[in-house]
Amino acid sequence: MPGPIINDTPTKTTEKKITIDPITRLEGHGKIEIFLDDAGNVANAYLQVPELRGFERFCIGRHVMELPVLTNRLCGVCPAAHHIASTKALDAVFQADPPETAKKLRELFYMGQYTHSHIAHFYALAAPDFVLGPSAPSNKRNVLGVVDAVGVEIGAEVIKHRSYGQKVQEIVGGRATHPCFGLPGGVSKQISEEERANMEEMAKSCVEFAKFTKKILADIVLANQDYLNLILNQDAYYLETYYMGMVDKNNKSNFYDGDIRVVDQTGKEVVKFKPDEYLDVIAEHVEPWTYMKMPYLKKVGWKGFVDGASSGIYRVGPLGRVNVCEGYTTPVAQAEYEAMAKTMKDLGVTGPVHHTLAYHWARVIELVYAAERMLELASDKSITSDDIRGEFKEPKEGVGICEAPRGTLIHHYTSDKNGLCTSINMIVATTNNYAAINTSVKQAAKALIKNGEVSPGLLNKVEMAFRCYDPCNSCGTHALNGGPALEVNVRRKDGAVAETLKNF
Amino acid sequence: MDDSSRQHRPRTLIVGVGNPILSDDGVGIHIARRLNELKLDQVDVEELPASGLELLDLVLGYDRVIIIDAIVTDGGKPGEFHVLQEDSFERTVHGASPHGINIATALAMGRKIVADKMPEQVFFVAIEAEDIVNVSESMTPPVAAAIPSIVDRIVSEFVSDD
Repeated sequence: MPGPIINDTPTKTTEKKITIDPITRLEGHGKIEIFLDDAGNVANAYLQVPELRGFERFCIGRHVMELPVLTNRLCGVCPAAHHIASTKALDAVFQADPPETAKKLRELFYMGQYTHSHIAHFYALAAPDFVLGPSAPSNKRNVLGVVDAVGVEIGAEVIKHRSYGQKVQEIVGGRATHPCFGLPGGVSKQISEEERANMEEMAKSCVEFAKFTKKILADIVLANQDYLNLILNQDAYYLETYYMGMVDKNNKSNFYDGDIRVVDQTGKEVVKFKPDEYLDVIAEHVEPWTYMKMPYLKKVGWKGFVDGASSGIYRVGPLGRVNVCEGYTTPVAQAEYEAMAKTMKDLGVTGPVHHTLAYHWARVIELVYAAERMLELASDKSITSDDIRGEFKEPKEGVGICEAPRGTLIHHYTSDKNGLCTSINMIVATTNNYAAINTSVKQAAKALIKNGEVSPGLLNKVEMAFRCYDPCNSCGTHALNGGPALEVNVRRKDGAVAETLKNF
Repeated sequence: MDDSSRQHRPRTLIVGVGNPILSDDGVGIHIARRLNELKLDQVDVEELPASGLELLDLVLGYDRVIIIDAIVTDGGKPGEFHVLQEDSFERTVHGASPHGINIATALAMGRKIVADKMPEQVFFVAIEAEDIVNVSESMTPPVAAAIPSIVDRIVSEFVSDD
């Protein structure tokens, strides 16, 4: 297998070049706009993402019990996360506390989602940059190129284990995509011993595959000095932000339930809050060039797209969660967490890991945790109990939060006494990260594009600054020729497009 | 789906892809639901709200797969439809960068990794959409009006001639 292609030769951009694609989507794709100054250096850079319109209006007046199946239609990528956050919001709306069995089933289902989502991101979206190299020819730098490089057998294992994650969701949740089992105070479906045993076997296999993935990361990425240099590049991929994520009562990372912890740039706890306190902690900033709002820490304030203690920008998702927690409850994930801390310490880094590309590393630790936790829950014979529904009361207002694979996900509903929805507010994971993603894109563009010299490899390295967040813009649309699409425009000072790159 | 008495005839899967609460984006789902009501022999119908690798899970083991989805092309008129095959998407498979796994890439992965389980034929019925950004259970009039003829065409072209 040839080595990855990390660098290519930039050329000076002078001509105005606009690519018109005959079957492109008119709307609905993400766009990075990079503005150059007279000297050809980066003056500014933005990521614009689409947002679907009218969802709030669509929900108001409907029965709140519909929301777990409606909100999960927001997204074809992480419907399970919306279903869980929505079901937990209904627990709060109906003041219901689910029985232990129901909580375990919800979490088991959710570990299936994590397993499938993190496998898909690592192998299909991150691996092309690491296995083939950021500057490999674009027609090879995709998942098919990865399969060619690592072999069909590994490709088959990827498909198999991602599919196991889906099957666990299907068994517990009724459907793999757009699940329908969550009820206030419980779940709708009991599982059989045969189903439990089947899930235990699949989970065992997923744990082994997660360990294998950990080894791939170590062998291919961490053992390669060029990649380490890329990860440690503080000019392009490093932000000292606040971090947010869910923890259990011992401050161990938890994806399903717990309090939300925020730490500062040194790792010190700033606040730990319950779901219904989120509006005390988070405020939202609006920019004229995008529909998407930018949440920030209310008490710190909005200072623009900058990092540091005086800027309220925080990061969520795998790196955020690794930075807010004090470890994991499962053995291999805990060992990997300690190994990451040791590696960083050896490199002179203590406290939170601020290196943006370390998102990929954190995601692999989380894959290990999700698979191990899935095995713990699937091995628990008590989950076949029929005690799956609890009492609930007259509906009012409630907030549900879970950790989506991409970060903290907040659903907030109010209901009248008949159960009809009177207001709905959601802050989704990628929205929580949106200010940070923009700051990262700008930082990488400034560091990598100099004197108007660009190359496909350089622009891809700018994209890497945002891709590692695994941003999910598909809460928008997905038409056949779409999929998560991205366009990068490099603009001269007069606004003319100097260079365009697109993946559709 | 694994009914062994059916194994001598080609097994067909129809997959409606889209979001049924996102205006015309849901046209594939709406058509799939109509086809499901027809209870066609030897035909399974599925709805797929996501795209990409989820599709791969569904299609394995079938002889023929028909994927119905919305499309927006330059100059396309809402309600028009195109019948496409896998090679129509060669360019989108090899996109400039891998932000997501689209349907064509997922099928290409399947052909590489689990070739023996992949359907022999995959067709796409792509319907031109007008509105794919506003949340609504209703489609725009030209797209809604086109559905009966598209259903007829799918039945006559892909189902009745076995």
